[in-house]
Amino acid sequence: MSVPTAPVATRAAEVRGLPSHLQQPGSKVVRWLLTAIAVLFLSAFIIWPVFQVFRGAFSKGVDAYVRTFYAPPLDPEVLEKMPRRERVVANNEVRQAPKTRDAIAMTATVALIVVPLNTVFGLAAAWAISKFRFRGKTFLISLIDLPFSVSPVVAGLIFVLLMGRVGIFGDWATHIQWPWPWSAYWRGFEGHWWPIGFSNWYEGVIFTPLATALASTFVTFPFVARALLPLMESQGTESEQAAITLGANGKQTFRRVTLPAIKWGLLYGIILCTARAIGEFGAVSVVSGSTDANDTMPLRIEKIWQSYNTQQAFAVASLLASVSIVTLLLKVVIDRKQSEQAVVKKPGAGH
Amino acid sequence: MSIEVKNITKTFGNFTALNDVSLRINQGELVALLGPSGSGKTTLLRIIAGLEVPDDGQGEISFHDENVVGQHVSQRKVGFVFQHYALFKNMTVFENVAFGLRVKPWRQRPARSAIRDRVEHLLKLVQLEGLAKRYPQQLSGGQRQRVALARALAVEPKVLLLDEPFGALDAKVRRELRRWLRHLHDDVGITSVFVTHDQEEALEVADRIAVLNKGKIEQVGTPENVYEHPANAFVLQFLGNVNLFHGRHAETAGSGAGGKTSYVRPHDVEIVAAGVDGAIAAEVEHVAFAGATVTVTLKRLDDGTIMEAELPRQQHLQLGLGRGQKVFVGVKEAHTFDTDYSI
Repeated sequence: MSVPTAPVATRAAEVRGLPSHLQQPGSKVVRWLLTAIAVLFLSAFIIWPVFQVFRGAFSKGVDAYVRTFYAPPLDPEVLEKMPRRERVVANNEVRQAPKTRDAIAMTATVALIVVPLNTVFGLAAAWAISKFRFRGKTFLISLIDLPFSVSPVVAGLIFVLLMGRVGIFGDWATHIQWPWPWSAYWRGFEGHWWPIGFSNWYEGVIFTPLATALASTFVTFPFVARALLPLMESQGTESEQAAITLGANGKQTFRRVTLPAIKWGLLYGIILCTARAIGEFGAVSVVSGSTDANDTMPLRIEKIWQSYNTQQAFAVASLLASVSIVTLLLKVVIDRKQSEQAVVKKPGAGH
Repeated sequence: MSIEVKNITKTFGNFTALNDVSLRINQGELVALLGPSGSGKTTLLRIIAGLEVPDDGQGEISFHDENVVGQHVSQRKVGFVFQHYALFKNMTVFENVAFGLRVKPWRQRPARSAIRDRVEHLLKLVQLEGLAKRYPQQLSGGQRQRVALARALAVEPKVLLLDEPFGALDAKVRRELRRWLRHLHDDVGITSVFVTHDQEEALEVADRIAVLNKGKIEQVGTPENVYEHPANAFVLQFLGNVNLFHGRHAETAGSGAGGKTSYVRPHDVEIVAAGVDGAIAAEVEHVAFAGATVTVTLKRLDDGTIMEAELPRQQHLQLGLGRGQKVFVGVKEAHTFDTDYSI
């Protein structure tokens, strides 16, 4: 109750929002109602499903959860004694676990390629847009936003249309050969001028991991640029100009002045970009060609799910959910760091 | 180091910021670029610094008779103090001041101890000795301004350029700091140019004032010169309040002829006894105290125009003026310019 004469109640109301004399009658009820709706909604659509993911993942115990990712072949004698049904499951686990591990590795590889690419691109784009005047700036900004407005499946199809057999790059894109970097080995200098060889080569672009990386790059490229743009625009160019008048060159200005000022925003963008690169399904689904070897985690989850292996699907999904939770926590920490910076930046503060 | 600006023109799209401007600044001078916003004064300063480029094939900027138009900002050796200081927020006061020394190529870079000595010397010069470890956000506006100055001076610039150096400060700090800047300039003796829209600031601090309007320099001269002998009505009006006497009224005011306008500063308006030659009858509208002087708003009885008179406090007390009182007004001094001059 916000009774104007009760000082304690007044103070409590002021802390929560409007001073008591400005609050409308019944506003307290409205406030509680709104809060309750928000909490209920979040519980129903976020907290409960995430909880279910973890519950499903552990529905057959910790052992089954682990065997989703790591299932060494069982002793034939033990298998022999098992009921037929359990034997089928165990054999299936042995066959599926390496593929799941490969999918995790593939996801990590794609993220490792995509995130640095988009970090560099995002920085360059945000730098250009916020610090320079040039023709076509608005056009560039809307281009950066394009992946947000295009459905990921369409994005994937664009790559198929470009690089597929009847695509614009046609023959070239379907016959280009490139090595899988992780398959590199040392072959020595004898008979070669280049001592590193690759045991695994791909032909073509579409339906190879390269296409997965390209599609993910396309889908995630707005994240870093979008996180940096408002920040860099609000900071203006005076600090950089000051650095230049003091004799700093471009590299020094960037490393000593610009980068420290945007580091939290940059990290924020990188984290969002990583989360999306790991979780991307639509575009990757189109360009991966449903080959097991090209599967990323989301594709893998879908395949396991389609084969009615609910617990395993949830187990892999729980990894993705964990990534999201970590992302969320990091986001909160970074938000706090950023607002701390903003608070002390206020003019006249801390006098 | 003298600065010579010759025939500089700068346009932004359709807007002409500077129109064929020439200006010479002598060695060791402190010059104010004074003008209303949009007059091109900041653009001129930034062109001198090299932060803006004048229009192609136009004019020349010389530092000590050496043309620097083609030179990059970092080669011009200018100290530039930004309006909002532009301090590096992630660095301490010490690091801010040391920045210019630390980014030098290592052959020219002073030793660590030399940098420390230099920074300490500069912080002493700007009276911030104890604050080396603070961050800019922990300083007051005036302190930040002085850090920005120390930072600019650290690289031993040949020219010091200040963009509205006191614009973001409150009135009292402003007054202190501009006096301090004058002393600092006299100590260091570096050729300095500062931009301001505050005529009081320019009159008080500068050796010479260049008054700008619409991308043109209207007048250059010592503060006394531009105040006492304004080249035109704009300079006169910009350098303080002024009363207008149009056409035939100008004649009655005792100066000027038809087609001209007389301008009279409020302190040149006096309250006189009735019957004095050329006196104008007026009625007191309002009396405003402003410390040592009293501003009296008067309404002429013949045509109802409003004018202001500034009286010393003492005189006001003797006259005992009040609202609605009828008085006679005389003019001590008037400046007359053609009426067709528009501002």
